[in-house]
Amino acid sequence: MLSQAVVEDVLLAALETGGDFAEVFVEDKTSSTIQMLGGTVDTAVSGRDFGVGIRVLNGVFAVYAYTNDFSRENLVKVARNAAQAIRGQQFDHSIDLRKSLITPHHEIKLLPNDVSKHRKIDWMRRAHHAASNYDPVISQTRITFLDEEQNVLIANSDGLFVEDRRVRGRMVIESFASRGTEKQSGQYGPGAHQGLEFFDELDIERYARETARTAKAMIDAEFAPSGKMPVIIDNEFGGVIFHEACGHGLEATSVAKNASVFAGKLGEMVASPLVTAIDDGTIQNGWGSLNIDDEGSPTQRNVLIENGVLKGYLIDKLGARKMGMASTGSARRQSYQYAPTSRMNNTFIAAGNSTPEEIIANTEYALYAKYMGGGSVNTATGDFNFAVREGYIVRNGKIEKPVRGATLIGKGIEVLQKIDKVGNNLGFGQGMCGSVSGSIPADVGQPMIRVSELTVGGR
Amino acid sequence: MEMIQFKDLLFKRGAAVGFSDMEIYFQADRDTTVKVFKGEIDAYNISEKAGLSFRGVYDGRMGNSFTEKIDEDAIDLLLKQARENAEILVQGESEEIFAGSEHYVAMRDEAEGLRRATPDLLIETAKQLESVALATDPRIDLVNYCMVINSESELTIMNTKGLNCHTKSNIAIAYISAVAKEDGDVTSSVKSAFALKDLGEIEAEELAKGTAGEAVGKLGAQTIESGLYPVILRHDTAASLLKAFVTVFSGESARKGLTLLQNRVGEQVTGVNVTLVDDPHRIDAPGSTPFDSEGMATKRHDVIRDGQLVTFLHNLKTAKHFGVESTGNAHKSSYRGTVSVQPNNLYIEQGDQSLEALIAGTERGLLLVELQGIHAGTNAVSGDFSLFCIGHLIENGQVVRPVNQITVSGNFLELLNNVEAVGDDLYFNGFGRGACGSPSLKIKSLAIAGK
Repeated sequence: MLSQAVVEDVLLAALETGGDFAEVFVEDKTSSTIQMLGGTVDTAVSGRDFGVGIRVLNGVFAVYAYTNDFSRENLVKVARNAAQAIRGQQFDHSIDLRKSLITPHHEIKLLPNDVSKHRKIDWMRRAHHAASNYDPVISQTRITFLDEEQNVLIANSDGLFVEDRRVRGRMVIESFASRGTEKQSGQYGPGAHQGLEFFDELDIERYARETARTAKAMIDAEFAPSGKMPVIIDNEFGGVIFHEACGHGLEATSVAKNASVFAGKLGEMVASPLVTAIDDGTIQNGWGSLNIDDEGSPTQRNVLIENGVLKGYLIDKLGARKMGMASTGSARRQSYQYAPTSRMNNTFIAAGNSTPEEIIANTEYALYAKYMGGGSVNTATGDFNFAVREGYIVRNGKIEKPVRGATLIGKGIEVLQKIDKVGNNLGFGQGMCGSVSGSIPADVGQPMIRVSELTVGGR
Repeated sequence: MEMIQFKDLLFKRGAAVGFSDMEIYFQADRDTTVKVFKGEIDAYNISEKAGLSFRGVYDGRMGNSFTEKIDEDAIDLLLKQARENAEILVQGESEEIFAGSEHYVAMRDEAEGLRRATPDLLIETAKQLESVALATDPRIDLVNYCMVINSESELTIMNTKGLNCHTKSNIAIAYISAVAKEDGDVTSSVKSAFALKDLGEIEAEELAKGTAGEAVGKLGAQTIESGLYPVILRHDTAASLLKAFVTVFSGESARKGLTLLQNRVGEQVTGVNVTLVDDPHRIDAPGSTPFDSEGMATKRHDVIRDGQLVTFLHNLKTAKHFGVESTGNAHKSSYRGTVSVQPNNLYIEQGDQSLEALIAGTERGLLLVELQGIHAGTNAVSGDFSLFCIGHLIENGQVVRPVNQITVSGNFLELLNNVEAVGDDLYFNGFGRGACGSPSLKIKSLAIAGK
């Protein structure tokens, strides 16, 4: 991608004005997106991203610059421009880059560029057929197939020089049900940090039928009730609750500024003792997994909360400097166009002891969120919200009827403290997480949980 | 390699491998971003990026590809990928390469002030924003985000049918988030402002005070009883709701059968007091452009006039599908994207009542000043929304207390049929094409979930 000699020149130029750390991130990515509508391909585009990000730190001050003109002359110029913002003590640097090889933990067999578009379309057609044949009420399907191969080179003035290849594939299946002027949808988006053999092994039909089933269930549903009530949230993408309500508040981005409700609470009981939560960037072929993070540090399994006690944060190099704590291998960025910052990889609530059947059977009245949609959080106040994609009313230990249009709102710490049941069916769901360093793939996960009280916004 | 040389070589080799009409779309951006935290520069980013997308007709179908690496090697990859992408499309309804409009509106370049704004000036503005916000009220604990961006973008579209369009746009954006604390209660407020000519258009003092004041104003908020309430959507919340439902008016959604206004052109779809306009030439709006992403001259259109749906927004392909003219709303999100449909500056025409008058005319209701989780809590296909919101309770025409931990829900189309009064305070949400604007709107009744 770039030679060691060029990288060295760029790093030295970046440090000319007295910066104490410089980093180069080179990215060469090919990606392809195919969208199929109602069984025929509607759009297809593919291409190549290529650029270089240069970061200079001086204490906790950070300068970031990027370019896609990768000539040595331009890179040195960009590095010098960035350095202009640093007014530190100048001294002679010498940089000793040592190329390190990483051990790939995520087996990748079929590279996206070696798989014909026709094969990708076959996988998509299977999803379309399974969904559209599920029921006559299904009026439309939309299947999006995304794959990418991202090659990165990360080098810094501490001597790091490392390359990595990340390969991901994902198929987002959406089914739409229509009745009169009403429309409802269901969605599933399985994906992995893996070669496209992932799709050979995937039960595509099961996921597709599930999206159709959701759409059908919701078109026949009445609006969810409003007010405070117990809420049961099922596994897999249900983990978005922890991701939004707590995960973002544990990132150094907000903790270091003391702008998180979790700042200064290490060692304190912040959740129900039933809750253990983990962010694990090492899960084999996990959607949010990486061999190394975007600063070149190996990813880790980070315990965030253990039996209700706050154990750790998610920290990148700059956050580590600000907080006086070690990096947790959590630096991520969408591309070379973003400075890295602390982010989640695969975040989940660990499995508990209750079976899902027991939890429902022991609930007098609750909203049961079988599938969750997206959500967001204000990390400063802890206010979160997220959408219920498929909901039901549970009454007297039984699922009574489907309900649609529900939103769950609350405050991060409060919801953690109100978790009174944790199931044993841990599962993961794939999502894209957006924050200051862009949109990145991340897994959310949890077993079924019950929250004793949440505000449900219905009608 | 010079762009003209690159283009000529690309079109030549493209023709040799079987492409007929071909086009390049080249975008180059330069941004400077500064963030300030506690009086110090927290981040300083300089970026220059450029990318090129190629599309060409191969065997009657349009193939798309893109690259950020622009050198001779890129040519073969662009052609190979575009061909592969064309081959999997179905022949028939297809995009087309456009030869150009007869006349383009001349957009005056008045951004010399922004081009001259130095990084130091951006830093100064950001520092001023932060210090004014902190000084506004002792309960302001922190300005947790304070950023100023100055950005320039150039776009060139050239094709084998002779089209050659070029435009340059500049915008500076200031963005501030303030956190207020009192008695264990934490609130925040986020506001932004933009400048199209000179950084001075951003009224830093007013923006900072407004943000701080709003955060403080939310302190001590309580929930309220669930029920139906008259609701005033302040202009910024109304604009963000319109933005979430913008695909409702897209010819692309209509072509795919995914809009709740399907087959309703010419019908009364909202209350008569709603007029929705897309105006690509407003000098005070952030999404103005002389031509769309297919190179067609942009035009002002009524989308809804006095409640009647006049037209969907179209590009060439969706227009052809419905047998109408393109409205000049072809859009590419960037050189990475394919052509879709998007408004330029879509806004609800303002009425004649001030926000104060709307409040004064409300016996009991809610003024909503913040909607959260817009993308999660809205369903653009069904029109349904259910959103976390923060606002103020109005009693006897007066704002009496802040309200939090509530959701507002309803259906977007029903909402537009229940507008009781339209404010006189048009405000644009968003930066760049696709900006949406609205005045404050008073809605007869919306469902609020609280306790």
